[in-house]
Amino acid sequence: MAITGAFCVSVNKELCINARMPGKCATCAEVCPHNVYALDVQTGEMSVINFNACVGCRICAEFCPADAIRINPAEPEYITRYPWTLAAIEEIHYKAQTGEYLLRGFGTQGQSPNFDMITVVPSQIASDAPRDKYREECDLEVIIGEDTCEKPVVLKAPFVWPAMSFGALSKEAKMALAIGAAMTGIAANTGEGGLVPEEQWLARGYNDRQMTNKKWEPGGYLIIQWSTGRWGVSADYLNSGDAVEVKIGQGAKPGMGGHLLGAKVTEDVSRVRGVPVGSDALSPCRYYDVQTLDDMKHMVAFLRDVTNYQFPIFFKLGPSRPYADVSACIEAGADAISIDGMVGGTGCSPDIVTQGVGIPTIACIPPAVQALKDHGVHRKVKLIALGGMRNGLDAYKAMALGADAAGFGSAAEIAMGCRVCYACQKGNCPYGITSPRPELRARLDPLVVGQRLANFIHACTEEVKILTMLSGHSSIKELSTEDLRAMDLNTAAMTGLKLCGYERPLPIWEEAFKKPGGNGHKKVPAERTSQIHR
Amino acid sequence: MDILDAQSKDLKTINKILKEKLNGTPLKIKNVTKLHGLGAGLKHGELIVEGNAGDYLGVLNAGATIRVTKNTAKYLADNMTSGMVIVEGNADYGAGQYCYGGTIVVRGSAGDFTATMNKGATIIVAGNVGDEAGTYMLKGDLVVVGNAGKNFANYLIRGNVYLGGECESYGHNTKLEPLTEHDLAALRGYFETYQIKSDPTTFKKIVAASEKPFYH
Repeated sequence: MAITGAFCVSVNKELCINARMPGKCATCAEVCPHNVYALDVQTGEMSVINFNACVGCRICAEFCPADAIRINPAEPEYITRYPWTLAAIEEIHYKAQTGEYLLRGFGTQGQSPNFDMITVVPSQIASDAPRDKYREECDLEVIIGEDTCEKPVVLKAPFVWPAMSFGALSKEAKMALAIGAAMTGIAANTGEGGLVPEEQWLARGYNDRQMTNKKWEPGGYLIIQWSTGRWGVSADYLNSGDAVEVKIGQGAKPGMGGHLLGAKVTEDVSRVRGVPVGSDALSPCRYYDVQTLDDMKHMVAFLRDVTNYQFPIFFKLGPSRPYADVSACIEAGADAISIDGMVGGTGCSPDIVTQGVGIPTIACIPPAVQALKDHGVHRKVKLIALGGMRNGLDAYKAMALGADAAGFGSAAEIAMGCRVCYACQKGNCPYGITSPRPELRARLDPLVVGQRLANFIHACTEEVKILTMLSGHSSIKELSTEDLRAMDLNTAAMTGLKLCGYERPLPIWEEAFKKPGGNGHKKVPAERTSQIHR
Repeated sequence: MDILDAQSKDLKTINKILKEKLNGTPLKIKNVTKLHGLGAGLKHGELIVEGNAGDYLGVLNAGATIRVTKNTAKYLADNMTSGMVIVEGNADYGAGQYCYGGTIVVRGSAGDFTATMNKGATIIVAGNVGDEAGTYMLKGDLVVVGNAGKNFANYLIRGNVYLGGECESYGHNTKLEPLTEHDLAALRGYFETYQIKSDPTTFKKIVAASEKPFYH
């Protein structure tokens, strides 16, 4: 949920047009979707009537023609009253009043182990010499499904847009992501909410349905998601993209299916998903049509068959038991496996699940890599790291830990204009990213925002290139854990990286390296990989 | 009629043959119990499966007619969007899940989770169904001539569920409604078309109590 009362709204009356000339300006009330401001129709005066409703999206400050509004976080609350912060108090009051638990959009809040306590080791005289970023080439390409399908996905940069569904995102946001992918040669993803028809041609770089007029080079790819809710899924749907992704879970709510609240189930969404307008679309937490690992293998087999053996098959995992889960995906026949850490984003999830379930991305990657190595398919079956990636530095660290590519979900939303107010589930996004309301969606121009997304990917690509080359490599395929060091004990223990200064992995990891899978991550026996609970 | 023997052939080979050969005349196939996903994504034609069939028969069916002379394993006609599947014997767990359209007729009985998340198909079971049949159904018709197990039509959202016999328990968000003339005509039509001997007037009609049943 949005943190109630976490922001101070202050209006400079000397600058405010309304304060000086009542009735002449009501911009803040017009743009605020959370009713923080109110206009007195009698006097024409504007006032802040509901401080607690402010979610910190800052749309009022952005639109204020006089630059009179400031939205500041009420940070001292968190220091002085912790753990009984205003947010905690309001949460208890809410539950006491309504009997309902809280829902939240976007993702986790607060500190959790992340890439910040990992540093990159540059090349100097005793190692391979650094490469020259400005005058030498660097291979950033990632090929998925090279040996297993007729049309492999060839990412021009080692990034994807992770699955974000139509419904969770507006149609315009989906189109912008497709355009961004086309401009940079990466892959967009339908998410589980069915296909926005425009995605098919925009993601490939065309601006017409017949795909005759290529507008954006190099052109990207569209991953078609196959999920537990099976919204809008048909044989034609599966054949409308370049890859199929089998969703097992996601970082923000592993163990639960997708949530789309009734407020966001409009006519358009209802048509695709088959859910009545206004009724919650809640995906099952598991596949009703998979009970065993063998079933999953059969599912992969018929997905390949229905798509005429053309496309690679991706799996998407939530952060649970990476070694065992990745092993199961490999055995099921995956060409690529996305693993989404607990910081991964969401359009809607129970607050406690997003905040308190799953393991961090940095702790997901090493056991996933170990599983790939133990099966002899590391760098063949591609590993895509998701969850809290903010820039090329995070992506580089994920790739040096052993991933082949990284995904930017939350960062993509921010690149589209999101200010992180944690209220995606309400359908009132003032930037039109997660809202189904036409007047809010009109604020998002897919062409403009698609360019912003492409700019973001270009910048991150350059960042990865800089780091790869200063580490003495000319290809991301050469990256290894030797290019990283942990800066604290927790990170060293979680990742197995060498600790700065100590220059060795912690003894617990040195012991673990002596046997395959010995780092405490055991493969779960096949009979226990059942999806069914009964 | 051509008869295709699937013995010792793999799914890729058989489904490729089906896509090429299923045009005007029906095609008969035998020895398919080990093929899981037979007839995946077929768009037209008529396939007759002689004997028992494996899992995921007719998955993602998009217009073909598939007849099975004996029983089918799990997940019959999973995620079908159009077409018809007729099973002369029984269907195991999860028949007709995630279907958007088309018709499934099981002349024997069907297992647990039959017609789960049905989104528009007509699914007729002439015998009994197991537990949780019709779970989270969003559209379409489910007709069970015999008895049903526990949690029948659990969290039904939309669509019509008809039950000829008794059930162990009804699921959440269900209520009984009297049969209308329209319902009786629909049931009569189904029984005549698929030659099922039953009296529509003895059926119970189960509908959703609310379109918004979930608690957050």
